[in-house]
Amino acid sequence: MERTFTNFLQALRGAEVRVSVAETLDAMETAELMGWGDREALKYALSLALAKTPDEKEIFDATFDQFFRFDSFRGRDGETPEANSGEELEGKAGDLLDMVQRRDETALALAMQQAAREVNVENIRFFTQRGLFTQRILGAMGIEAIDAAISAAVRSGEGGAGQAGQLREARSYLFEQVRDFVEQQLSLQGAGASAELREDRLRRSRLGNLDRRDQEQMKVIVEKIARRLVALHSRRKKLRNRGVIDIRKTMRRNYGSGGILFDLEWKQRKIDKPRVMAICDVSGSVAAVARFLLQFLYELHELLHDIRSFAFSGKLIETSSFFKDKQADDAVAAIMDRVGFMPTDYGESLSNFREKFLNDVDKKTAVIILGDGRSNFTDPRTDILKEIHDRSKRVIWLNPEPPPLWGTGDSEMRRYAPYCDLVRECNTLNHLERVVGDLLQVAQKAA
Amino acid sequence: MPGPLRAQSLARLHRVPGAPVHLSPPTEIGMEAKYQERLSSIERIQEGFAELNYICSRPIATAIYVSCHLGKPLLVEGPAGVGKTELANATSEYLGVPMIRMQCYEGLDESKALYEWKYAKQLLYTQILKDKIGDVLSDAHGLAESMEQLHRFSDIFFSEQFLEPRPLLKALTAEEGAVLLIDEIDKSDHEFEAFLLEILSEFQISIPEIGTVKAKKRPFVFLTSNNTREMSDALKRRCLHLFVPFPDAKLEQRIIKARVPAIPDSLKVQLVDFVQQVREMDLKKQPSVSETIDWARVLLLLHATSLDADVVRETLNVFLKFEEDIHAVDQQLYEFTRHAQKADARVA
Repeated sequence: MERTFTNFLQALRGAEVRVSVAETLDAMETAELMGWGDREALKYALSLALAKTPDEKEIFDATFDQFFRFDSFRGRDGETPEANSGEELEGKAGDLLDMVQRRDETALALAMQQAAREVNVENIRFFTQRGLFTQRILGAMGIEAIDAAISAAVRSGEGGAGQAGQLREARSYLFEQVRDFVEQQLSLQGAGASAELREDRLRRSRLGNLDRRDQEQMKVIVEKIARRLVALHSRRKKLRNRGVIDIRKTMRRNYGSGGILFDLEWKQRKIDKPRVMAICDVSGSVAAVARFLLQFLYELHELLHDIRSFAFSGKLIETSSFFKDKQADDAVAAIMDRVGFMPTDYGESLSNFREKFLNDVDKKTAVIILGDGRSNFTDPRTDILKEIHDRSKRVIWLNPEPPPLWGTGDSEMRRYAPYCDLVRECNTLNHLERVVGDLLQVAQKAA
Repeated sequence: MPGPLRAQSLARLHRVPGAPVHLSPPTEIGMEAKYQERLSSIERIQEGFAELNYICSRPIATAIYVSCHLGKPLLVEGPAGVGKTELANATSEYLGVPMIRMQCYEGLDESKALYEWKYAKQLLYTQILKDKIGDVLSDAHGLAESMEQLHRFSDIFFSEQFLEPRPLLKALTAEEGAVLLIDEIDKSDHEFEAFLLEILSEFQISIPEIGTVKAKKRPFVFLTSNNTREMSDALKRRCLHLFVPFPDAKLEQRIIKARVPAIPDSLKVQLVDFVQQVREMDLKKQPSVSETIDWARVLLLLHATSLDADVVRETLNVFLKFEEDIHAVDQQLYEFTRHAQKADARVA
């Protein structure tokens, strides 16, 4: 039973229900309390201990039903198989033929479970392993006996033909059942593994060359990462009553008690939420990265004091309002309409920024610039970037191109770099996560 | 007059080093015979709750059963007004133990949830005992010796007599055991949530001046949440998690019958059907079970025997609390009423 239980938990984890060790122990206790007799009651009780959000409850219900499903070998004509005593199940190879001929469904189902256990079917992960496991289970059940019987029947000539046909039919019936069983195991155990594999691949692939069909998945991943960052960084914003006594405040506060220090006052630290201004190049390949950066930042609005975004190619506009009342997709489309598809001009765009928005940059602002720095040989206006750098808390430059390409051709990256606090290559989700995490961390440390 | 004393600052000034004092004898964990029978099976719980007019579905009864037997806190989540708080009430009544309720809100802290020192009493006693202090110190020579003498007595001001227990401490020290309801935990701060962890897993708390207080009898703990924010994993891990959805029509009819026994059967069926239809709509706030009960009472008061469009229109504001919602339902009023009447006809 314990092994079945462990397999069930593994299947749950595969379906993205987070199960901790403590919860495993709780679940075991619960199962012991409830007993294995009443299926419904056990299901409710286990869901209390294992699934802790409405979403997880739903997944739990589905997984439970699928995992504890014993409908293999239900007779095709629906007749209930006769009960079987345990002893008969012990020997298997010789009896398999017998079982199949008698269509003893219960015995077959049990034999299959036992065989499945022997070949460790719970290790199945990928759909390519289906055939392998089906063959192994059939082997463990003793399929050779049937094969032998078939060839014997064929060899015996005239009279055997009918029997051989019957046996063949029985064999293919057995095969189908086992294959379905393996299929079911795969969907239970394999789902998690392939999802993980896919997510891992997506997180490392370049945002510029994503397939359209991966976009949906990407959105989910971005949300997931954002949730994690929120959880990681939404700690206390104020440290109270810890550390150093603030002598001045304490004295002042205790004048009332004649200078006797009854009430202590502690030095307080306040942790600031960073204010973020994101300036994104929306030309060509940079646009894809910009989109995800912006989606990221807006998912994190809880942690950030204020987010403003700007988009440019030939000129620069503010795009904050686009994201506030639109979905990311629509917002990006609307932005592309306004400023997309123009020859990029960093100098012009930066001076646009200086005219309209430089006054809003203060010592609490982190300015994130996302762009490849390819300015079509126009004046890069590094002086403006220096001005932004002087006024702001940090300037972070994210470049989707790999470092060896910086400064080649019309790239002005090498000239901009001295005025940035941080220059990073950024073209996958993993890069983005690191940058955003870094942004939040610095904000907390600096306070 | 000195400003308010803060326990912590006083403690730091007068802290006496020494072994922590235990307030209470070691915990006995284990269920008493009187609960044992009442918690013997899930069906027994369901029946017992029904006698108290709390109709609970099987999953809810299972949750009570498991939580009481394993001694684990139960975190109850669900939309507002499905009877989460009532569940704790019913449990306390069913088991015959006192209920201790703690309403959470933003800014709730230890001094309001756990304990506070009775500062005024402390001060008063200090004043009264001032002269005595002279006597105590009279035979001491020099500062060091006086200090030594004082140290021997300073603990008396930080003893149980000066402790004002708040809900959590009350629940732990209750002689007979208790049902502790931590209501709307989602309204509290992250810090408070973290502070609860020790209580939820060990059933003990530390008071720096006195020592560790362990539960005399393990309380049955209920936490409720409306999901205005996600609870931390650490908290969830220590609790069993029960999600209470809106009841289906059958269960809701039984609830109405139990709560408003005088209601005619046909009206009950119609009313529940109507509310169930309203819940299908996309509203700002869905009508809760408690509001269905209110509505049933109002209709009974108006001597209505069945639903018709006019009665419904006049009483919509009993279970819908937003102007937009009332407007939205008003547009489908006739359709819903007809459906409800048909549902009644089907039953009849």
